[in-house]
Amino acid sequence: MSYRLPAAVPALVLIPCAFLLTSGPVVGQGFWREDAPKIPMAPTWVAEKAELPPYDPPRTPDGVPDLQGFWGGAGGDGLSYLEDHEFVDVTTPAQETFISDPPDGKVPYTPWGLAKRNEILAGLGRGWPGESPERLYSSPAAYCQYFMPRFSFSALEIIQRPGAVIMLGDEGHRVIPTDERPSFDDSAKFWFGVSRGRWEGDTLVVEVRNLNGLGWFDSTGQFYTENTRMTERFRLVDADTIDYEITIEDPTVYTRPWTMSFPRRRPGTGPNLRRSRLPSAVAINAPPVEDPYENEVWEEACYEGNGEGRAALHALGYEWFRGVTPPE
Amino acid sequence: MRYRTGRLLLGVTAICTFAPTPGLGQTGAPSAYEPPRTSDGHPNLEGIWQALNTAAWDLEDHSASLGVPAGLSVVEGGAIPYQDWALEKKQANFEHRTTLDPEAQCYLPGVPRITYMPYPFQIIQQADKISIAYEYLRTVRFIHMNGVPHPPGPIDWWMGDSRGHWEGDTLVVDVVHFNDQTWLDRAGNFHSAALHVVERYTPTGPDHLLYEVTIEDPEVFTRPWTMSMPLYRHQEAHSELLEYQCSSYLLEQEWDNPASTLFEGH
Repeated sequence: MSYRLPAAVPALVLIPCAFLLTSGPVVGQGFWREDAPKIPMAPTWVAEKAELPPYDPPRTPDGVPDLQGFWGGAGGDGLSYLEDHEFVDVTTPAQETFISDPPDGKVPYTPWGLAKRNEILAGLGRGWPGESPERLYSSPAAYCQYFMPRFSFSALEIIQRPGAVIMLGDEGHRVIPTDERPSFDDSAKFWFGVSRGRWEGDTLVVEVRNLNGLGWFDSTGQFYTENTRMTERFRLVDADTIDYEITIEDPTVYTRPWTMSFPRRRPGTGPNLRRSRLPSAVAINAPPVEDPYENEVWEEACYEGNGEGRAALHALGYEWFRGVTPPE
Repeated sequence: MRYRTGRLLLGVTAICTFAPTPGLGQTGAPSAYEPPRTSDGHPNLEGIWQALNTAAWDLEDHSASLGVPAGLSVVEGGAIPYQDWALEKKQANFEHRTTLDPEAQCYLPGVPRITYMPYPFQIIQQADKISIAYEYLRTVRFIHMNGVPHPPGPIDWWMGDSRGHWEGDTLVVDVVHFNDQTWLDRAGNFHSAALHVVERYTPTGPDHLLYEVTIEDPEVFTRPWTMSMPLYRHQEAHSELLEYQCSSYLLEQEWDNPASTLFEGH
């Protein structure tokens, strides 16, 4: 079994082992074993959902599908790895690709985009094969930043109201208007972008614009730009499973739109992906958790507790990722 | 520890000076207003709210200065009843506020400070919990309404542990398990980890909540004290929470600044 790693850990794994060994155990921390089975992701889910019978979802009083409740995610832990890979190290187990389209499961970068992606990958400083000696960037998640789609890859609670779908995560929230309100001028940029939702049949479709281009898709430098648009689709396929898809469009760095997909399951109702439920009781100083609190979401305070990690990354010469500027 | 001297002094002081709590917070706000209700019969507090005062700068009476609007105290009786050592500490905090204020580090600001910072927040009401989504840092605070008591401490949380119940039409939230790292405003008003906060949210009209807070901290104050202020519902047709991702702006600014102290002291 593996357990979720606190978001502060990516910073720690980048610095000498002595530090890690002396930093003491952290509640909930675990590392992946080399012989752990490959984690299923988009290919397994695409095959599985093709076989699912039609499903008529329960509905809210205003007649739209009722997506409310707690839902697992598939990453968002600051150590995620987007494309198909075998075991790399204890932070990075074998896992299928998140990408359901194109069929090769790879981000369809332009040649410039691919060169930039490889440059970032080589500069991660994680001790992985093929790295350059120069440290370049670490994931914004290593600094406890939250952004799209990291938030959507994480476990979350969905609450619906007429005119809005609310998503609460362990460190963040989105309130997605579904009332056809206007969006913002392109010049206004946000880590989470600006979300506008609508129902297409039984699918919640969320258009995300106005992204600041500073977030990554994973911890390995899969990037987007401030031109990128994301379209998410949430659809109940049975009582306990949401089919989640997110399509990425940005002709300045990708040759075509591309899509990621995974199932979001209610806690305890299916195979775990990378992370199955909202965390509880991860505060290092918290006492042992008793039953009444098992399903509560407790404060993580990632940034507040990660001063050492930030200082270490700074001292090691990492640069602050300020986004990419594609050629005209 | 930062407050060692004070703590030694305090045990005695607290016992001698602690008095029962009269005041605003206990009387509630009897009101003829009949609020809209949720299906379980409680007032429906959902919506986007914001304080409109100068408490974020200074809870007490204060004059204007560069970037700081003057303001009246929101504290009942005007002044916060500090113990002597704590008043000195507060004054030292004030003098060094630009560097010492945890808000300048973009840390979670604690309760009640996050309520009257100049950012809106959205209340989301469910039967077993009330969630507050704050624009500042996209913080989510869960107020558990299911009758489960505070977990046993000590726990040092930035935002504390919130347990709520209804007293008539007033939402009463009991908050404990704080750390001693947050301040109450930008003027250096502070507390210890013994802080106990009781918040009361009472609808007084369709677009107003009365927000009353009792602050109890026998290590720092001579008695419990209260503050109160209205909270206002956003009136814009398309009001929505945006984001203020403070720590990212700070890191972006300081990363390449050779004079930065942000990465020291760890």
